[in-house]
Amino acid sequence: MKKATLSRRSFLKLVGGAAAAGATVGAMPVAAKKVGEHFEPYVVPPEEALPGKATWYATTCRMCAAGCGIMVRTINGRAKKIEGNPSYPLNDGKTCARGQAGLQALYNPDRLRNAVKQNGRESRIFEPLHWETALSSLMDKIEAADPANIIFFGGVMADNLYYVTSRWLEAIGAPPPLQYDLHAALEGRATSAKAAKKLFGTMQQPIYDIANADVIFSFGANFVETWMSPVSYSRAYSKFRGQTGGRGYLVQFEPRMSATAATADQWVPIRPGMDGLVALALGKILGGGSFSGMYHNIDIKEIAHASGIELDTLKKMARILANADHPVVVPGGTPAGHSNGYDSYLAIHSLNLILNQLGREGGVYISPNSPAEALEAAPMPNSFADVEALIERMNGGEVEILFVHGANPVFELPQAAAFKEALANVPYIVSFSSFVDETAVQSDLILPDNTYLESWGYQVASSGGDRPAVASQQPIVERMYDTRSTTEVIMALAKEMGGAAAKALPWESEILFMEDMSGSIYGSSLTPYTTKTGKEFWAAFRQHGGWWANKKLSAEPEAVGFKNSPLPVAAPNFDGRAREYPLFLHPYPSVSLSDGRGANLPWLQEAPDPMTTAAWNTWVEMNPQTAHKYGVHDNDVVKIISPNGEIEARVVVYPGIRPDVVAIPVGQGHEDYGRYAQKRGSNPMDLVGTITDPKTGALAWASARVRIERTGRKEKLARLESLHGHGKEELT
Amino acid sequence: MATAKKNSLNTPENEGGGHGGETTAETRWGLSIDLDKCTGCQACVVACHAENNVPVVGEEETAYGRSAHWLRIERYWEGEYPNVKAKFMPVMCQQCTDAPCEAVCPVYATYHSDEGLNGQIYNRCIGTRFCGSACPYKTRMYNWFDPIYPEPLAEQLNPDVTVRSRGIMEKCTFCVQRIRRTQEDAKAEGRDVQDGEIAPACVQSCPTDAFTFGNLNDSESAVSQEARSSRAFRLLDNLGTGPAVIYLKGGETRV
Amino acid sequence: MSKIKRIRKSDGVIVPEDVQDQLLLTTVSDDELNALMLEPMKRTGPLFWGTLAVLTAVFFWGLYAWGYQIRWGFGVAGINRPVYWGMYISTFVFWVGISHAGTMISAVLRIFKADWRRPITRGAEAMTAFALMMAGMYPMIHVGRLWKVIWMFPYPNNRHLWPNFQSPLMWDMLAITTYLVGSSLYLYLALIPDLGMARDNSTGWRYKLYRAMALGWRGTEAGWHKLEKALGIFAIVIIPIFLSVHSIVSWDFAVTTQPRWNSTILPIFFIIGAVFSGLSALATILVLVRWGMKLDFYLRKEHLDNVGKLIFVAGISWIYVWFAGLIVEWYSNMPITVELLHDEWYGDLAPLFITMMVLNIIPIFFLAFRKVRRSPLFLLILTLMVNVGMYIERFLIVAGNLMRNYMPFNWGDYKPTWVTISIVAMTFAGFILFYMIFTRVIPYVPVWEVKQGRLRFSTRQVGRVEVVTITQVD
Repeated sequence: MKKATLSRRSFLKLVGGAAAAGATVGAMPVAAKKVGEHFEPYVVPPEEALPGKATWYATTCRMCAAGCGIMVRTINGRAKKIEGNPSYPLNDGKTCARGQAGLQALYNPDRLRNAVKQNGRESRIFEPLHWETALSSLMDKIEAADPANIIFFGGVMADNLYYVTSRWLEAIGAPPPLQYDLHAALEGRATSAKAAKKLFGTMQQPIYDIANADVIFSFGANFVETWMSPVSYSRAYSKFRGQTGGRGYLVQFEPRMSATAATADQWVPIRPGMDGLVALALGKILGGGSFSGMYHNIDIKEIAHASGIELDTLKKMARILANADHPVVVPGGTPAGHSNGYDSYLAIHSLNLILNQLGREGGVYISPNSPAEALEAAPMPNSFADVEALIERMNGGEVEILFVHGANPVFELPQAAAFKEALANVPYIVSFSSFVDETAVQSDLILPDNTYLESWGYQVASSGGDRPAVASQQPIVERMYDTRSTTEVIMALAKEMGGAAAKALPWESEILFMEDMSGSIYGSSLTPYTTKTGKEFWAAFRQHGGWWANKKLSAEPEAVGFKNSPLPVAAPNFDGRAREYPLFLHPYPSVSLSDGRGANLPWLQEAPDPMTTAAWNTWVEMNPQTAHKYGVHDNDVVKIISPNGEIEARVVVYPGIRPDVVAIPVGQGHEDYGRYAQKRGSNPMDLVGTITDPKTGALAWASARVRIERTGRKEKLARLESLHGHGKEELT
Repeated sequence: MATAKKNSLNTPENEGGGHGGETTAETRWGLSIDLDKCTGCQACVVACHAENNVPVVGEEETAYGRSAHWLRIERYWEGEYPNVKAKFMPVMCQQCTDAPCEAVCPVYATYHSDEGLNGQIYNRCIGTRFCGSACPYKTRMYNWFDPIYPEPLAEQLNPDVTVRSRGIMEKCTFCVQRIRRTQEDAKAEGRDVQDGEIAPACVQSCPTDAFTFGNLNDSESAVSQEARSSRAFRLLDNLGTGPAVIYLKGGETRV
Repeated sequence: MSKIKRIRKSDGVIVPEDVQDQLLLTTVSDDELNALMLEPMKRTGPLFWGTLAVLTAVFFWGLYAWGYQIRWGFGVAGINRPVYWGMYISTFVFWVGISHAGTMISAVLRIFKADWRRPITRGAEAMTAFALMMAGMYPMIHVGRLWKVIWMFPYPNNRHLWPNFQSPLMWDMLAITTYLVGSSLYLYLALIPDLGMARDNSTGWRYKLYRAMALGWRGTEAGWHKLEKALGIFAIVIIPIFLSVHSIVSWDFAVTTQPRWNSTILPIFFIIGAVFSGLSALATILVLVRWGMKLDFYLRKEHLDNVGKLIFVAGISWIYVWFAGLIVEWYSNMPITVELLHDEWYGDLAPLFITMMVLNIIPIFFLAFRKVRRSPLFLLILTLMVNVGMYIERFLIVAGNLMRNYMPFNWGDYKPTWVTISIVAMTFAGFILFYMIFTRVIPYVPVWEVKQGRLRFSTRQVGRVEVVTITQVD
């Protein structure tokens, strides 16, 4: 039985009118106009906006890179509630906690309300600028700079923004945008794509059909929390549990029990960095079939010892895999966080190969290229090595203008990378952030982008889902403040520059650009709705919240990169000597705050971490044995010291973690970024060094060793769970 | 609509001696939660905040047990490292048939609706907190202070739901405003409300479909079918409160 | 005091000495008796005014704290989820408990014709009335929206909205209001002859006050007759109220599903505890008033001795009922109950629990000794211990218990704030303040009752011989 039928119907009914109106006049579907600085209802409102009556608009969620389809309930021109778009196949009407909290990005009291220039970096004294002034001063800088020294630093960028930005940069002769953010690093996006390129010959995120699998082996893939496309994978997980004839068997290999591991049938506390070796051992036990050469010279006992998994457990796990009809093995974030991440990915993927699960039901797919190619979706993110190269260039004075959009590198990169220090060598830094975050504080000019609920855009679903899909993004409300879409800013710059730049971005407005882009998928036989003209398609595209194939469609990965020769998995490198730093540090993305970008939203700050039920601060999870050894208890403040730095955090005695590992959630420890985020907790990235995986250049973010020192202080961590009642559940 | 089934202590689904949550009325809203599917992702928690204008209280207050979550996900540890397991259990107002909170309110600020909802009338509440002391599930939340919405955060508020001032008890209402909205829309279209058509915010958001909402007195409804499942149990059933929230305990796969 | 002549054995009188003391059998005349009561009322020294000033300051500071709480919300009061009730309700229960001794002394002892009660009844009744006033403030202090508290009153309105008479809080309100009205009337009725006496013996503002309050009392036969009848009725009627009030207070807790609250013995436990704490408070007050007003003539060690005996009996009963409740809980072996018991014995609540037990039980054993009971200083110390102990007992029952519940995930902590403490202090200060003023405005000892008692065993000079007369009074 399909739920939320009404939402779907009312959405179709209501949005239809809106989109039609929008299509004819080319205006934003809004029910409020701006008078000065105030919001005021229209005297004669648009026809679909009845006072007190809700209108739903479909758009795209931008709270993470997955790009789920959402519907926003608006009343009198104000967005009131975000819900999943039930038609959009990726997330099927559902959202995660971060998706729900998007309203608070729109209505955040700490948003920048206009373009500003900062009088002296880090002064935090901002002077409002007229957009014309801001853009013309920026133009002067661009014209004075060597185009090759103009760098655009993006997070994992929205497809539309990447398209516009990369064309502009190319036209002026600047390098393409550099896409890097911590969230992508923590989920292993770059490693995953590079492994896919090698093994399947395509630079795409593989899609794991966990919905139809009967056994899932996940190596640190937190797919019901933050990994890749969590809502899509949660939908699949639900089907996995609810399938006829069983409820599936999920095994999670990771040093610290995540919420995904908690939902798993078996959590295997693996020693950090051993994922690839364990995969090899499993392969060895399984035999490998015609690819047995991959497992030549593998000593299972040795791996069992090195990985901290008992030999019997390994054998049992292999048996489970062997007995499964549709097993799938998923490499996730944790293996990518080590210097052998790439090797681990190859070893883990090889299991899918020898289990014959490439392109089979409950196995591994890749998404068909059609919409992604048509829309020229953004490529896979860059690796940390590219960022390091950038830092080197900055230090060498080879960066004249740095644009930062959608990422907060000063906060997100390891302190050891010295990004902030390198910024001092960049003459002109422009931030597009909606908030004064740590990177914006280092910039000279802030040109705040609209929040996503005020923006146009599109996003090709890259991971998860069972068919190709493109989500369309349209403004739900009119701009609250005097902010400007970065796409439009770049278009304006290109136009001003004229020549190749203007030619590269020929559109009069962002809307016309969007319409044009939608045209490139118009006419596909897979269309879920029929339209007669391009105009009609454009309206339907916005009305339905995007375009997707009307049937299941996924491509079989071609196993081009596998060889019947031994797979080398190097031992992982760690920062710090074991004697001095006896514990491994396991930073993990917070379910609600992600890599820290959610920290300025009070709903997300207040949402407890599922495992510790803690909120609003940073804690360090320690096995009861470890805590006992160090003589620390819950709420004790300890210093966590690595060769790269030290932070303080409150102890959470946590039964689901290896005794030789401590885990700290990423996301807190902001210096800036608004009242809800700043001066709260600490940032474990301060402990992480700059070890990379030599094969991909990905940051080995789990490669720091640490030691713990007591401070003697006790500070109460805000937790939902009572510590008194802890462990006394059996009473009732 | 199936015939309303009289609550009986002897039916198999009422094992444990408490009420089954069903009543003799035509409609008895109920919610089932499949613990096998709950991943603890907090989507329901944030959705509930957004839908019901649930205040955010901040770090200090949260640390002092004053968070206002109408819906919280309790996490229970089982066993010890390395054979440790964690289980999630979303807990909200159980909308009891015989609610301990209802009898003790001196001003009828909490009452029982004819659809079985345990209603909370904010304007009537004088804040004795008796209901909070009486509730065995501890799902009643008090407004310790006036909520703060720095401009323009108040724009996020749902106009269908009152913003509660200090001194008022509040709790999960099964999103009564969404129930009413759906009922009114159905009425305007001259039809009955379909099973599964009503979705409280938590149910709507849940990425794993762990929640099922519907009429417990309709034996055909998905929720009453789940209530009859062998996995079904009710929280603190032995207290005889007759919760309308039915939990389906997590399964185990044998390998 | 030199004027007072004791009756001696050598006079050939057969009345035992302790009865003489209890009934104040002396040869002092009625006029002298009046003066012995009225004179100390006019004596106020710097200590009196100083104390009054301090108490007034504390009281108004508490009022400010209350205003602060009303303005900013209950967040300033230290309670939380699950400890929705903290020190306010504990103190409420404490004050209601204190109020029980007044009725115990005056009504119960009146019915049982215990003559020794006579000099101390008014002090006890006044304690009841003031303690109830303080208790009565708590329902208002503790509601989140004071400005809507009127909804608890059953007043006609066009929406036909009534309070919920199912709620123990409503029972509470009705019981306490009834008890307050009843005990105030009872206090006032018994006051009328003394007001008449005071009126006849004073001048100035006191005269005016007493004239107004005496309601034209002339001591006529008809007046005495009506008074005795009214007092007889009140004494009987107020006893069931006295029993019901603390039962109802206990039902605030016992009717919920909270483990350990949900117990049938709670009402009895509360009543016995109330009498125990009330009598202790009375003894404390008697010793202090006796000392402060130098009322050694009226309030003799014999009276203290008797009150001490009552405290002893109440204390033993309290231990018994506590144990009777405990044994059932303990042997039930219900996991949650046992957990809560362990929490008290050696868990987080152990320090409070042990303090409570020590403060409550040690005095009981000391009070078994006559010498201790007859020593005002010892009695003061011991009863103060019981008062503190019983306060902790209430705190443990209310706040201590709420820290735990059926869902260990939702257990909690409780820390009172300055606001809580200020408001609680306000009621303590208010109580003492009102009581102190009372002692200087209203005759503290019911002189007419003393006189009446003296009639029972009296001596009359018949010629040269002093003759004992025995009369049946009441």
